[in-house]
Amino acid sequence: MIVCVAVVGHQNNPLYLQSFTEADDALKLHHVVHCSLDVIDERVNNPKRNAPTLNETFLGLLYPTENYKVYGYLTNTKVKFLMVTTDLDVKDADARNFFRKFHAAYVDAVSNPFHVPGKKIASRSFGARVSTIVKSFGSGTTV
Amino acid sequence: MGREVAGSCLDGVVMEMVSAYCGRFYAAKPELAAGRIEAIGFQVGHQLSERYTMDRPRFTDHLEAIKFICKDFWSELFKKQIDNLKTNHRGTFVLQDNCFPWLTHVSLDPSMESTDATESDPALLGDTAAQTTSMLLYFPCGIIRGALTNLGIPCAVSADMSNLPACSFVVRIKT
Repeated sequence: MIVCVAVVGHQNNPLYLQSFTEADDALKLHHVVHCSLDVIDERVNNPKRNAPTLNETFLGLLYPTENYKVYGYLTNTKVKFLMVTTDLDVKDADARNFFRKFHAAYVDAVSNPFHVPGKKIASRSFGARVSTIVKSFGSGTTV
Repeated sequence: MGREVAGSCLDGVVMEMVSAYCGRFYAAKPELAAGRIEAIGFQVGHQLSERYTMDRPRFTDHLEAIKFICKDFWSELFKKQIDNLKTNHRGTFVLQDNCFPWLTHVSLDPSMESTDATESDPALLGDTAAQTTSMLLYFPCGIIRGALTNLGIPCAVSADMSNLPACSFVVRIKT
């Protein structure tokens, strides 16, 4: 199950942050998200030579903790997408698929002429679309 | 090359936008109009670059990003690629388009230049015609700047038209 998703701008400014848990642990999840940003920076600035995934947008597993796993995605425009999940074995393909849909939703949201670049995404339809994507994660269905 | 109706509509919108800004909103201050048109282009480029770079790996250097603008971005916008790319390898790129679609319908009236015997100053007339045409190029300049800025490359873009409909865009990357 995905417990939290985030979109972070190129200056590490939060653009969208949403948790999907009933319990009151939003702060903890946000902390995990912020810690993962450092991991992204590290990955991008010190890339492993000859790695096949050198410039891929999908960054893979970033930050495993006891309870959570954080996956990351970095676009060409230096926007970071993060996903915190409690699932123990996440298939890479599933995570990739999730980020692809998430990215598509983001692109549609920022293409709104009333959206101000660099500001938080306030669109309700974006929120609803992300919820749908999150709910369908891992269930094998397509949105 | 066949043209879609939507393509002709877009040409019309661009021309009309330029003329509205130059002739009505900022008739007295052409430099303000230029800034405004460039800003609209900037936003368009900013948003389009987000969409068009969706399914590709990240760029490693400036040249790769410029090549993306010349090839994929230009084909998405104009169904053609930039014809010639020159660079001095020190942050200046010249993108030359031999037949820029938004200038294909523009023609400087040759009778204006030939009837120089009339009372008005022909140099002045030719000058305003060129000025009006150059206004059309602020929008694509803004698009290029918006796209590159969104890709993490702050730059200044200027346009230069020598003989219609060819024109070139000069990109100077700020360091």
